[in-house]
Amino acid sequence: MKKYLTIIKTYWQRGLTYRFTILAYRAGEMAEAVVLVLMWTAIYSDQNVIKGFTLPEMITYFLIGNLFSAATRNFLPGLMSRDIKDGGLSMFLLRPMSYFNFILSREIGRISFVTALSLVTNGLIILFFLNYFIFNFDIPYLLLIAIMISLAFIIELLISYIVGLVAFWTDEVDGLHSTFDKLKKLFSGGYFPISILPAIFVNVSYALPFAYSFFVPAQLYLKKIDLMAGARGIFVQIVWIIALYAISNWIWKKGLRRYEGVGI
Amino acid sequence: MPIIEVKNLSKSYEYYRQESGLMGAVKSFFARETLYAEAVKGINFSIEEGELVGFLGPNGAGKTTTLKMLSGILYPTSGDARVLGFKPTDRKKEYQRQFALVMGQKNQLVADLPAMESFILNKEIYEVSDNDFKKTLNELVDVLDIGNILDIQTRKLSLGQRMKCELAAALIHSPKVLFLDEPTIGLDVVAQKNIRDFLKRYNKEKKTTIILTSHYMEDIKDLCRRVIIINLGKVIYDGAIDELIKKHAPYKLLKITFDENGIRRDQVEKYGEVLEFSSYRAVIKVARGDAKKVAIALLSSPLPVDDILIDEVDIDDVIRKVFGK
Ligand SMILES: Nc1ncnc2c1ncn2[C@@H]1O[C@H](COP(=O)(O)OP(=O)(O)OP(=O)(O)O)[C@@H](O)[C@H]1O
Ligand SMILES: [Mg+2]
Repeated sequence: MKKYLTIIKTYWQRGLTYRFTILAYRAGEMAEAVVLVLMWTAIYSDQNVIKGFTLPEMITYFLIGNLFSAATRNFLPGLMSRDIKDGGLSMFLLRPMSYFNFILSREIGRISFVTALSLVTNGLIILFFLNYFIFNFDIPYLLLIAIMISLAFIIELLISYIVGLVAFWTDEVDGLHSTFDKLKKLFSGGYFPISILPAIFVNVSYALPFAYSFFVPAQLYLKKIDLMAGARGIFVQIVWIIALYAISNWIWKKGLRRYEGVGI
Repeated sequence: MPIIEVKNLSKSYEYYRQESGLMGAVKSFFARETLYAEAVKGINFSIEEGELVGFLGPNGAGKTTTLKMLSGILYPTSGDARVLGFKPTDRKKEYQRQFALVMGQKNQLVADLPAMESFILNKEIYEVSDNDFKKTLNELVDVLDIGNILDIQTRKLSLGQRMKCELAAALIHSPKVLFLDEPTIGLDVVAQKNIRDFLKRYNKEKKTTIILTSHYMEDIKDLCRRVIIINLGKVIYDGAIDELIKKHAPYKLLKITFDENGIRRDQVEKYGEVLEFSSYRAVIKVARGDAKKVAIALLSSPLPVDDILIDEVDIDDVIRKVFGK
């Protein structure tokens, strides 16, 4: 356990050396949220309810959803493809610790500071639009959301890990990563609540893992779905974690045989 | 039992060629002809505990590829390698805790952090106890003389300083087997000497088995009694460095200095092939068996000989000759 903590700590320190970049990104995040709120306010100017969402609900949906997605995201694929392409992976293959465990710890260390800051800025944005924001202090709901977000974090890591592993075959995964990110955003409800789409689309989303890092917890927060539906979601997430873990293991073994440790 | 045993080890890489220019790039986007590079072709050798073996060969000979297979980074295409009784590609933790690979051109230190942080990271990953860590680190810091650079970001260090830190990081877990791939590349002569002295001492004191590749003959001459030479993926020599010289250099060099008024070139030409000449110094190449005889002849000649040194041919020349085959 201590080794994981040391890795987390080491890369947390490293993250701090790039404080400027981290802060610069936050500015963009805040600007985006403001634009979002302005846009929806304009759309709602001549109607009170769209597909069952009032304006405060819609704004709360995005603000709280952004908070969730900030808590679950990672930047693994770029780093991994670099490791694989430049042969940096070689150094990890030598050590008595699996690459998976290493990069997971490293990623947690790397992003914890960014995530913490991002949570703060997203919190600030909520404060800024306090008039529109709907509060929910219902403990069972919040608890369920917390579990869901933690699992979503793991799922996102596993998905990113798999995307990163594709670099064994393609060297680069930027394109795949970006396409995946967009699909994810769509299916997670990051562009708009997926419930405004046809029912089939919504059902598919519930079966996919993406909705659980934005749409589902946001709906739970707004109490638009009940605890039972939330619990079902947790079950789906667990199934996904098992499946993704198995898939990633399999791809790792296949990929490693192709690995050439180039660069020296 | 040998510590390292390699049997018929082969590795071929997949690659493809791409014509230059835009058309070439477009063509290779749609159809690539896969080619295979046979980097290592059925090599055999075995190494005993505590040996320090030089692994030589021209660029592209397959040295790095072999070391990577021994470290478990690459799967061999065929053949078998055993190190400390383990199959490297199984990547067993017990194996990984007992060896280290240092590559002069690849770093394991985290560039944005001081070397000390990387040492601590390795300590935890290799599960080194606090006591052992302290002891090993003190020793390494002392011999490598890096005490005053441990708290500086690694990327701000000079090449030589970084290399020393790399070595220290790789030795934190006191490996039994050490693979060194061009550890002195790009270093100045003083730094090279430092690293060499360190390795020599380390090998002697810890009985660590070391395989070392280098393109600097000084490294090899100074450190290794045994060399394995590979070329085009095949072992072409495996044995004592002295034997190599005897076998491939049937000559010795007579290095003669003269005093008084010096001499003329034609006065020494009859003794053998003159390699170097000035009025007060000449280097003559003579057959190995004739060296003593010629030396005596020179001393008893009327030439103003001040001193004669009988020396081996330079190892560089021997290696060049062997590579050339
Ligand atoms: N990833 C790769 N893909 C294709 N061919 C490769 C790859 N890596 C190495 N090779 C080829 O394999 C051969 C052996 O390479 P290797 O790196 O083992 O040589 P080396 O003896 O270490 O040379 P050097 O002294 O230049 O470091 C070379 O011909 C090289 O072109
Ligand atoms: Mg090499």
